Amino acid sequence: MGMLDQLMYGFGIALTPENLLYVFIGVLAGTIIGMLPGLGPMSAIALMIPIAYGMDPTSAIIMLAGVYYGAIFGGSTSSILLNAPGVAGTVATSFDGYPMALKGQAGKALAIAAICSFVGGTISVVGLMAIAPSLASFAVSFGPVEYFALMVLGLTAVVSLGGRNLVKGLIAAVVGVMIALVGIDSQTAIVRFTFDLPELYEGVEFLIVALGVFALAEVLVMLNQRGQGGVRKGVTSLRLSRREIAQITPPALRSSVLGFFTGVLPGAGATVASFLSYSMEKKIARDGDTFGQGNPKGVAAPEAANNAAAVGSFVPLMTLGVPGSGTTAILLGALMVLGVQPGPMMLSENPDMFWGVVASMYIGSVVLLILNLPLIPLFAKVLNTPRTMLVPLVVVFCVVGVYGLSFSVFDLGMLAAFGVIGFLMRRNGFPAAPLILGLILGGLMETNMRRALQISDGAWSVFLTEPISAGLLAVALLSMLPALVRVLRRRRTGIEPAEPSAPTAGTGDASEEAAPTGEDDAREESRDRAEAGSATAPGTGAASGTGSGPDGQAAPRD
Amino acid sequence: MLRLTKTHVSPSAPGSGASRRTLGFRAAAVAAALPLVLAACGGTDEGAVAEDGTWSPSQPIEITAPAATGGGWDTLARTSARLLEEEELVDDSVQVVNKPGAGGAIGWGYIANNAGDPHKLFVTSPPILLVPMAGDSDYDHEDFTPVARLATDYMVYLVAADSPVETFDDLAAQVESGDMSVGGGSGPGSMDHVALAGALEAAGADATQANYIPFDGGGEALTSLLGGHVDGAVVGVGEALGMLESGDVRAVGVSSAERVDAVADVPTLQEQDIDFTFDIWRGVMAPSDLSEAQVAYYETLFADLMDTEAWQTESARLGWTDAYQDSEEFGAFLDETREEFAQILTEVGLQ
Repeated sequence: MGMLDQLMYGFGIALTPENLLYVFIGVLAGTIIGMLPGLGPMSAIALMIPIAYGMDPTSAIIMLAGVYYGAIFGGSTSSILLNAPGVAGTVATSFDGYPMALKGQAGKALAIAAICSFVGGTISVVGLMAIAPSLASFAVSFGPVEYFALMVLGLTAVVSLGGRNLVKGLIAAVVGVMIALVGIDSQTAIVRFTFDLPELYEGVEFLIVALGVFALAEVLVMLNQRGQGGVRKGVTSLRLSRREIAQITPPALRSSVLGFFTGVLPGAGATVASFLSYSMEKKIARDGDTFGQGNPKGVAAPEAANNAAAVGSFVPLMTLGVPGSGTTAILLGALMVLGVQPGPMMLSENPDMFWGVVASMYIGSVVLLILNLPLIPLFAKVLNTPRTMLVPLVVVFCVVGVYGLSFSVFDLGMLAAFGVIGFLMRRNGFPAAPLILGLILGGLMETNMRRALQISDGAWSVFLTEPISAGLLAVALLSMLPALVRVLRRRRTGIEPAEPSAPTAGTGDASEEAAPTGEDDAREESRDRAEAGSATAPGTGAASGTGSGPDGQAAPRD
Repeated sequence: MLRLTKTHVSPSAPGSGASRRTLGFRAAAVAAALPLVLAACGGTDEGAVAEDGTWSPSQPIEITAPAATGGGWDTLARTSARLLEEEELVDDSVQVVNKPGAGGAIGWGYIANNAGDPHKLFVTSPPILLVPMAGDSDYDHEDFTPVARLATDYMVYLVAADSPVETFDDLAAQVESGDMSVGGGSGPGSMDHVALAGALEAAGADATQANYIPFDGGGEALTSLLGGHVDGAVVGVGEALGMLESGDVRAVGVSSAERVDAVADVPTLQEQDIDFTFDIWRGVMAPSDLSEAQVAYYETLFADLMDTEAWQTESARLGWTDAYQDSEEFGAFLDETREEFAQILTEVGLQ
């Protein structure tokens, strides 16, 4: 009962009018800041630090924690509405969220994001409260070797994200990894691939690439479609049918648990969690082949996972005093300035802070939901904006987001370049998602691989002799198997991949194998035609029916 | 990607997480830089020189932290700014500006472009020497005017609680034989590595044999030590405090000349007959071309600041030890320290 008493005590602290106000301010500020591209949870917290100065430490951390999960939630809004993920953690949300918005289901997508964020956050707080102390050993069990294996597992998502054309997906992923290598190498301090440009010493900012290949490329596509299909469907209701709720519940629950444990690992965090859960759900789902075309499950999974991971990252912070992510690192800095030393002693020395924070997270999740559901129709109005307004708006959004980070014109040039690259990729059927995945996970994978090899004196066998690593690599291999088998079989039997087929969904794992070729091809084709300005682009030959709309705009955004 | 913003410069090194994807940090600068833009519009006001030759500022003082909010430099800048105002040591306000990027080089470039402006200070620590030595900055410490050294923090050398290693000599022997990997929170050739290599050399071991594993911040190095992925770690005292108290890790030495209050039971290297000290000093510098009167004003200002009770309270909490030096002493100290670093880096084969 001790824990419940303490939680009650925590609620006693968090529910004082003053602290309630701080939760509210934090969540609101976080949501708004997070919605702006370029300003994620890290910047949101950093912006609030000066305000937190001089506040009572408990109130301050309650507010900052609110900013944190508010910002993660806010980030999903721009991913869904504008295809402009401002934060790495919400990139996966845009894979299905934006297609849903294009189909006129923006309200639904945002509602799913809000609800699943709430579910993920809440489940995770229970985990934080109940098992945080015993999770410390789990958190430290991951060293460079294990992180390498985890990143490999994350990268296998390329196979599912790649969609129709595995080879093109892999090419995009490799390019993403190569971009991650630019800059000063962390293991030897040697400058790589910078062409002697000091602007590249610190590498290429993730945000520049993401806004370029997603948002700007989208703008270019819009410009190219000038004259047809100008008005995008506005917002429909955000009410979810019972069937939809039943549909997203299992993925949300699974992803919450997965997200929490991924978040607990100091080297992983919300981004890895959202990708892992997305690719897991895609594989599990009977209709996995419609992921990427506006499947609600594809929004539910990453949203539950990234919020769960955000809370999970408090475990190493509060039990070990080690920040589990860049964001918690800033939070730790703020705490120390406020005179609190998080760490193994925090629970015993500062129980009111620990339990106050836990309680405030419950309250914050609720506030987040209450605050956001009514605002969704308002946010979603952005989609009703005429294209002549929307296009410049998105461009300004991107430019301000990037320029605000560095005040560097060079970065703007890179943004434009990535916009063009993204556009060309789409015109030629190269999916952008694997590029982003490679960029985000590739850098982590490389660093950890090199660290692991340095520790093991260059022995590669270490990846197979460490049990956790061996297990993760085995899962990675198994998860790729169906796709590889498919490719090989296709090659052997010589089936012409372009031939439209009508796959029957609903054969469990086999559905993924059945997913492959025809329908995607047809859509691809229809989109290409739409892009080429043909107003007669037919609906598609898709048998599953959840695919593109008649105007061809909702074609899979690979 | 090496985060040269080795914000590890402070006990609150946590700011150092996040590596290259510190995009948020930078964004913070947007807001933080707004007052700067306003201040810059005022042109270079030279301040007021009194009859007796003393100088005082005529507009708000701006302290640049060449890193993001939340890190070590930021902590120092904000703490000093707040206390200068609270203790009413300045008439006008004191603004903090964050200029993150390239391990400090972006911020230094900004100060260098404002040569002669007596209202623009910046906070500094060993990276002002190490980053230019690595060739990653167009400016080094000689391009700026030293104002004062304020405080210092130290490194601890850690092993797991159940490690057979008892003294720093044990550690040095193990490291030299290749049986031990040591994690640190900064890239090769930067602070943590130099602190390890210098101590190893002083202990008579061959530092080139050291298997130093760079992590993204001391926190990551500590978790790796806890999980048994590395056998030792070298991090700032402040970072290790929590885990030392809880007994999860054990320290075999601290890089100070005398024992540090916060970890009073950890012997110094010198007590173990190893002639090596490593200070994570922090100080304040200004653009080049300041007049003597201007430097004198700031020397006094910061000396007065450190005399206040509020400063003493804050610095005790942050684990800093007072280490005041005036402009001239600080300048000489910087030159000396650079020589020492250069020697260590050459010995390890990094330069």
